[in-house]
Amino acid sequence: MAQPYLRVEKLVKRFGPFTALSGVDLDVWPGEVHALLGDNGAGKSTLIKTLSGVHQPTEGQIYIEGKPVTFRTPRDAAAAGIGTVYQDLALNPLMSVTRNFFMGRELKGMFGMLKMDEMDKVAHDEMLKIGIDISDPGQAVGTMSGGQRQTLAIARAIHFGAKVLILDEPTSALGQKQQMEVLRTIKTVRERGDIAIIFITHNEIHSKLIADRFTFLSLGEVIGAGTKEELAGDDIRRLMAGGAEIEDLAQMLA
Amino acid sequence: MTGRSEADRLKQESTLMRMVRRPEAGAFIVMIVVIVAITLASDFKAFNALGLKNNMAIIAQFGIIATGAALLMIAGEFDLSIGSMIGFAGMSMAMMLKWGLPFGLGEATPLSAFLITLAMTLTFGWIIGTIVVRSGLSSFIVTLAFLFFLRGLTEVCFRLINQSTQISGLPDFKETSWFADLFGGEVFGWFYDLWFLLGGNAVTRGSRAGEQLVTGFDARLLWWIIIAGLAYFILSRTQIGNWIFATGDNKEAARANGVPVNQVKIGLFMTTAFCATIFAACQVFDTNTADAAKGNLKELEAIAIAVVGGTLMTGGFGSVIGVVFGAVTFGLVANAVFYIPWIDGSFYRVFVGVVLLAAVFANERIRKRITGGI
Ligand SMILES: Nc1ncnc2c1ncn2[C@@H]1O[C@H](COP(=O)(O)OP(=O)(O)OP(=O)(O)O)[C@@H](O)[C@H]1O
Ligand SMILES: [Mg+2]
Repeated sequence: MAQPYLRVEKLVKRFGPFTALSGVDLDVWPGEVHALLGDNGAGKSTLIKTLSGVHQPTEGQIYIEGKPVTFRTPRDAAAAGIGTVYQDLALNPLMSVTRNFFMGRELKGMFGMLKMDEMDKVAHDEMLKIGIDISDPGQAVGTMSGGQRQTLAIARAIHFGAKVLILDEPTSALGQKQQMEVLRTIKTVRERGDIAIIFITHNEIHSKLIADRFTFLSLGEVIGAGTKEELAGDDIRRLMAGGAEIEDLAQMLA
Repeated sequence: MTGRSEADRLKQESTLMRMVRRPEAGAFIVMIVVIVAITLASDFKAFNALGLKNNMAIIAQFGIIATGAALLMIAGEFDLSIGSMIGFAGMSMAMMLKWGLPFGLGEATPLSAFLITLAMTLTFGWIIGTIVVRSGLSSFIVTLAFLFFLRGLTEVCFRLINQSTQISGLPDFKETSWFADLFGGEVFGWFYDLWFLLGGNAVTRGSRAGEQLVTGFDARLLWWIIIAGLAYFILSRTQIGNWIFATGDNKEAARANGVPVNQVKIGLFMTTAFCATIFAACQVFDTNTADAAKGNLKELEAIAIAVVGGTLMTGGFGSVIGVVFGAVTFGLVANAVFYIPWIDGSFYRVFVGVVLLAAVFANERIRKRITGGI
């Protein structure tokens, strides 16, 4: 682990006159959860969209295992091992777990025939590995809980070769218990040791529970970064609010 | 922890319950009811040797176009141009057979007339599909335009070249051409031979009394079996099938996962055009006639059958087997007037309206169950 799997240097992204990111640095290490925090509009989604090939950087450079790379399309990024799980998860509710798992990347034999048994088994096993036992891989995704869907999308990204797993607010739409389920899933993935996880959240508690490293964005700039040990608990709260003191926030409500 | 997990909450169902919850279940029950009712009301005439042949002919016609329509609907699009495409294809084939190939290329054979026509209809299908995916317009409106365009084009061609909007009295090509026989001839002769050997299927009156009455089913029955069989195989067992479902369910999710959504749709518009052409070829080579009005309203019947067969109007869900049940139901009811003298022929449309509405409600319940009620 001499170098980070993914490194971002002085990344700038402008939309016309608007600077969404102004010189962001980021290191992501395998086997670590990297929490990306910041207020609404700070540029978190813009940053991960640039990492997954949706946007091209205006300036700056992305490195994978030390080598400079350019992603023209999401496909390029996926091929380099960037697996992004967007908030809408890119799932089809009417289709079965297995059919969703392999959507677009089906295992096929003669005449394009699906190897359904093998696919069922892979989907089931991959989800079991990160902690959810789906009893029927033929179950429609629409009938699954939010946490289970999140797990399906994560398992799919890992199975198809993700080395960096990017999760954009994976817990935001879930109830308490399911949030914990997703956090446990993230933990299981971290324990494999070979996958780096970028975890975007607005939830201070969640980030403290599982993150090893933090980066705080505010108005397109990194206003703080470091490992769990380097940052004291109070710092995290202050930085999450974009540098404001919690007393100031209390003032705003008064 | 209580030791319970989410997975435990999914109750294991018996095989019977699984069958009842399948999307085809409703269509199957309606079909059985219709078969029993028509058998009794027609005093078994609907299923005597000749009745069976005639019923299978119309069932196969419905089945051929409804299969294409259903696949397209599962991918989330409609095709209202099917009926006009049938009219156009029939006109094109009959016209070439009567007046020769275009551009003075000489006499047409059934093979050349069919292939040139198919090339044209597939091109139309491709154009329709391309317009739909490129413009992002609703396929309802794009294919409605082609409904008018193709019907008008058919009539114009008829009048310009043929002076009249019908062609009749073409030579009986199926007697001389194996290719025409594929569409207009008979199939499964052994079935009726066997029936005759077993003591049925005989002429009862006149000078031919005692001879075999029916010698085979119309060839379109075989085409339907082939098309439905292929569609079933592709939809439920192949990668393309998975792409069709994915395209109709959530297009953006499918695209994000690398499914070639646009190609799937264009391919399916070409499939409905193909089905319409087979429908027309069977008609032309069976009767040796063509007519500018052929295929009128068939697109709506095809969609109705697809819906009754359990296909969701919103896409992403459906079954070829359900469409088979739907085609049998519609075919039998459409023909019922011939076997049940006291019934008014227009009851067919009354029936279609009622069954269609019931099916839409049933499908909506299925959709809600799967998506968790949204
Ligand atoms: N395509 C775009 N064109 C112009 N401006 C954009 C575009 N995408 C994002 N922005 C702007 O960039 C800024 C950062 O947006 P971004 O979505 O990255 O924020 P975020 O940190 O993900 O916020 P949230 O926590 O609300 O998701 C916002 O001010 C947004 O309006
Ligand atoms: Mg965001």
